[in-house]
Amino acid sequence: MHKYKIADLVFTLNCIYSFTPKLCANYEYFGETLPETEISITNEDIEKEVSLSVERPKEYLECIAVYRKLCEYIFKHKNGMLIHSSAVVYNGKAYLFSAPSGTGKSTHASLWLKLLGDKAYVINDDKPIIRLIDGKFYVYGTPWSGKHKKDVNTRAEISAICFINQAKEDTIRVASVKEIFPLLLNQTVRFSEITETDKLFGLIEKLLTSVKLFRLSCTPNLSAAELAVRVMTGEYNES
Amino acid sequence: MKVKEGFVLRKVATTYAVVATGKRVKEFNGVITLNETGAFLWKILEKGASKDELVSALLSEYEVAKDVAEKDVSAFVEKVVSAKIVE
Repeated sequence: MHKYKIADLVFTLNCIYSFTPKLCANYEYFGETLPETEISITNEDIEKEVSLSVERPKEYLECIAVYRKLCEYIFKHKNGMLIHSSAVVYNGKAYLFSAPSGTGKSTHASLWLKLLGDKAYVINDDKPIIRLIDGKFYVYGTPWSGKHKKDVNTRAEISAICFINQAKEDTIRVASVKEIFPLLLNQTVRFSEITETDKLFGLIEKLLTSVKLFRLSCTPNLSAAELAVRVMTGEYNES
Repeated sequence: MKVKEGFVLRKVATTYAVVATGKRVKEFNGVITLNETGAFLWKILEKGASKDELVSALLSEYEVAKDVAEKDVSAFVEKVVSAKIVE
């Protein structure tokens, strides 16, 4: 059976359709480490996705079910979670842009690449996994990377999380934990059990007090990235 | 009025959050953030209290003018009533 390594978790995959193994091809693992778990999908899991989502092909729903199980495992055993975002890595540090679907996360991330060229890349354009390891938060590329399929199978330490909204002018400011917390909660997977909720809140609390937080109102123009890069990295020089 | 069963208050860094747990998640999937005063009022509301009782509690806990306390309580009550998390 094929082994995969996503977010530094080695596992085997037991799927019904071939769609997910194909999607995960770049994450296949050929090393010696034994799989820690198996992610196994049943028709029941797919039916559950049908009830949660709109009508989609079953192979696609299976793919979502795999991601859900992966996130659950990583949350329970690995101090990790999903943050629905587009994550850019520049000079080795990651910058996460989050917002509800359709706001322009990917658009803004692509502007960073346009501005910074080879020095930057998108580690994941839609559903990266983040993990807390030895007191530091890392973002990992995953094959679930949105319609543009932009992801890199690596990790980077998170420098900042930025929530974006569309605007006619570009403005950016430092944001508070109080402000970001409810926004972030809407862009991750929630749990109904109180023990899991407490664990999630504990992880989010550590995250929000460990990384820089921003709110960006932005146009879809390069000027938005010029502003965001300058303020968020403190490194970019326009000249 | 009283907090419905299944809603809990949690402190996250400098802020307070009210979320649903268990079966309540189906009817309320959001989060309500509260400041320290809001969290104080919430704890009283967990046992049940009238609006006047909330104002009295606020006045005995914090050094605040009565009209300010009434305003704070009104804003808080409006928040929890409109979110349908009290009964």
